[in-house]
Amino acid sequence: MKYPTLYAAAVAAALSCPAAFAADVDAEAAESLARQNGCFKCHAIDKVKDAPSYQAVAAKYKGKPDAEAKLIKHINSGEKVRFDDGHEEEHKVIKTKDEPRQRNLVRWILSL
Amino acid sequence: MTTDRGTGGLWRTWARPGTRRSLAALLAAGFIAGIVFWGGFNTALDATNSLDFCISCHEMRDTVFQEYKESVHYNNRSGVRAICSDCHVPRDWTHKMLRKAKAGFELWGKLTGSIDTPGKFEARRIVLATHEWERMQASGSRECRNCHAFDAMALARQKPQARKRHTEAAQIGKTCIDCHKGIAHLLPAEYVEENE
Repeated sequence: MKYPTLYAAAVAAALSCPAAFAADVDAEAAESLARQNGCFKCHAIDKVKDAPSYQAVAAKYKGKPDAEAKLIKHINSGEKVRFDDGHEEEHKVIKTKDEPRQRNLVRWILSL
Repeated sequence: MTTDRGTGGLWRTWARPGTRRSLAALLAAGFIAGIVFWGGFNTALDATNSLDFCISCHEMRDTVFQEYKESVHYNNRSGVRAICSDCHVPRDWTHKMLRKAKAGFELWGKLTGSIDTPGKFEARRIVLATHEWERMQASGSRECRNCHAFDAMALARQKPQARKRHTEAAQIGKTCIDCHKGIAHLLPAEYVEENE
């Protein structure tokens, strides 16, 4: 390969942009998984509830190559999240442990 | 059933006053038979409330039971477990019997195979869940309140978000199921939250 660095950068950029996530996302399955796990109790797609909208999450992680890994960890680890009043609580852990379905959900969120 | 005297003769036999046994003996026999019958009935009824009975069908064992096993109602730091009947069958006699009578429809569902595959179950989950939520809402979350009560909550020891929600809920007359849907099972894929 003549320009390996350039190629790697192009791949990283493609993977980190929403269009790349959107291409291989099953949006219907992702939204169903979010509903089954009660994600919409705190989140919404385009409005702020107790938690930021999914569109805001996508914007926050836009262009970050580790976005998918971070969100997978976020929904599985029960890590602390900060509320508007400043207090912190553990994020709910997703009940569905199927890794491909989780990955599809995360990619859908990042594609919004 | 008939005898050589016909059904009329059988009825006369049943209706005829006893001539060989004393009234005390008949009453004692009836009393003992009543205890045996009532005990047997209650034992059978209790058996249908057991976890083993509930998961004796694959329809429950392969779906909602697997989800429940991941929930705090199955496994928690205090070691207190709520089984299916604790949440889905009323404790008091009248409501329990009404619920058991309605469970006859579940037998019909079993016979017709309405949820006998995971796909069929998922397709009907929103219908089944809605029935149960409506039942719980109509009773003011009676089965939840067998163990949980607003006035027994140490709000100061709850997480801030839970404290805020429980305080508001108590003030405006909400009960458990208004907010806590899908805590022991997955929510239906079609379920839409309020204010979504």
